[in-house]
Amino acid sequence: MRSRVLGVVTVAAVALFTLLPLTTTDPARAMGLPALLDRSQLRGLTTISMFVVLTSAWNIIGGLAGYPSFGNVAFFGLGAYATALLTDPDHGHLPLGVGLLASPLVPAVVALVVGFPLLRLRGHYFSIATLGTAIAFGEVINNMDFLGGATGLFPPIIRSDLLFYYLMFGAAALTVGVTWWIMRSRLGHGLVAIRENEEAAAVLGVDTTRYKIIAFVVAAALTGLAGGVFAGWNSFVNRDNVFPVDYSVQMILMAVIGGSGTISGPVVGAVGLEALIQLLAGGSGVYTQILLGVLLAVTVIFLPRGVIDFVIGRSRLTLAHFRRSLRQTSV
Amino acid sequence: MSAPLLALSAVTKRFGGVTALDHVSFDLAEGELVGLIGPNGAGKTTLLNCLSRLYRLDGGSIRFSGMDIAKLGRHEVARLGVGRTFQVVRPFRSMTARENVAIGALFGSDRARLPPREAFRVADEVIDLVGLGGRGHLLVDELTVPDRRHLEVARALATRPRLLLLDEVMAGLNPSEVAEALEVVKRIHASGIAILVIEHVMQVIVGICPRVVVLHFGKVLLEGDPSTVLKDPRVVEAYLGERYARRVRGSRGDG
Ligand SMILES: Nc1ncnc2c1ncn2[C@@H]1O[C@H](COP(=O)(O)OP(=O)(O)OP(=O)(O)O)[C@@H](O)[C@H]1O
Ligand SMILES: [Mg+2]
Repeated sequence: MRSRVLGVVTVAAVALFTLLPLTTTDPARAMGLPALLDRSQLRGLTTISMFVVLTSAWNIIGGLAGYPSFGNVAFFGLGAYATALLTDPDHGHLPLGVGLLASPLVPAVVALVVGFPLLRLRGHYFSIATLGTAIAFGEVINNMDFLGGATGLFPPIIRSDLLFYYLMFGAAALTVGVTWWIMRSRLGHGLVAIRENEEAAAVLGVDTTRYKIIAFVVAAALTGLAGGVFAGWNSFVNRDNVFPVDYSVQMILMAVIGGSGTISGPVVGAVGLEALIQLLAGGSGVYTQILLGVLLAVTVIFLPRGVIDFVIGRSRLTLAHFRRSLRQTSV
Repeated sequence: MSAPLLALSAVTKRFGGVTALDHVSFDLAEGELVGLIGPNGAGKTTLLNCLSRLYRLDGGSIRFSGMDIAKLGRHEVARLGVGRTFQVVRPFRSMTARENVAIGALFGSDRARLPPREAFRVADEVIDLVGLGGRGHLLVDELTVPDRRHLEVARALATRPRLLLLDEVMAGLNPSEVAEALEVVKRIHASGIAILVIEHVMQVIVGICPRVVVLHFGKVLLEGDPSTVLKDPRVVEAYLGERYARRVRGSRGDG
């Protein structure tokens, strides 16, 4: 019953977000359909889709496997640079399609290599090491002349907000689909077992090293794809716009507030928070930051398993529940 | 005579200055039921951790089914057929009891490794076998303390092990619960699985184990059939202290 409702909601949402942007096209106008979105709203939806990719991909390593990476933005940056390098007229000068193919591959290979040492660490050691690694990658790239140094790279300008919307929305749908598949498979069960107790998982036969690496690589590839699409969309890539540490923090906030370790939680968190951020964008950035902080605190205290748990009806906003969740989170 | 299922030879494990296991050697045959007893801190849990390759040895070797465990990964030992419980239970807390057990059937020994749907079916069978029937849908936090012990056993059993290592699964249970747990152990053994049962309370083991190994300060004090072993003055002394042993000897008039 509940799963059918969820299915209907999913299909409706996908249909809405596929069809709605079409009302901005010239044929739709010619047919006399009202434009339900303007340019800037379409760009807003593209950014929301981008955060759905980042947050849902983070959820695979952070939420399912329980390895809270603070450095996932590095994969976004690497994907963006891979696409930019291949498409920039001064460098690869290849079509965008080819450039996009490289965007998941480069971060995946990097994740495979750095994953072996990083995933031996646990808890905040892992978080700090991933944060440091991401910063280091940004610095190194910023100082590489063949990557344009601090000036960056310039993929050719393609003036089609609709194309990049669909690419980003497609990446988001892919990420959610991959998460759905993982959670049904042996891999997903193994990852959750690792999160709950790694040694217990190992003595039950879970190849913990391999599973953690797979989760990290898959998360990196999907995050990189979003970076690649962003590079083409923005037609300008440098350290400051594709390696911002803020993104790493933002995807964690979105996943935790929405409900990490679930399929819908990160989506709800990304859509809700990014929409909120855009609505508040007129005002001062400081208020946005404060609001995000307060939201995080409130969620962690009252809904430690995220908003989605509350929506589905598995948690209630009562004081008794609050006390119980405190006991659970403070073990 | 065929090679033993499990062969420990001069197994040694140190923690800094403490030698937790000191040249421990004994064998265990296919399908055999052996009790491992010893006072607090004797090294029983440490031995189990070495057997499931959570620890690396400082000396000696462990062979299971002819394979040197030192050369395997933790999950490979499990896949060869070594299943275990943890003395301090380690459930997957976000999962139901049934999901916990299904992890064993999804992964586990090479004979297990079922696809998700079948793994859940096996989980239901195993849950009934250990006496958790009807409570599979409960979250771990909703289970009673004895049921959490049963869950540890069920999860290990779902891996279809050839050797099951039980670390004090009966500690803290009341007499009727102990009797139930013993029935479960007997049933598992009857299905052909070799078992190494650790118990701190030796009376538990006397009834069911044809052979016991006594560990004391990391060394094998002696091994044999339980009635002889438990009467041995060295065992009495290890458990109850020297003064008590002397008093027993004195009252018998042979000290
Ligand atoms: N991880 C560890 N680090 C340091 N010392 C340890 C560690 N694990 C065990 N020890 C020490 O090794 C010795 C054996 O401990 P072990 O837990 O194996 O005993 P045990 O026989 O299982 O006792 P109990 O009946 O209390 O469970 C003890 O002296 C203990 O303090
Ligand atoms: Mg112990």
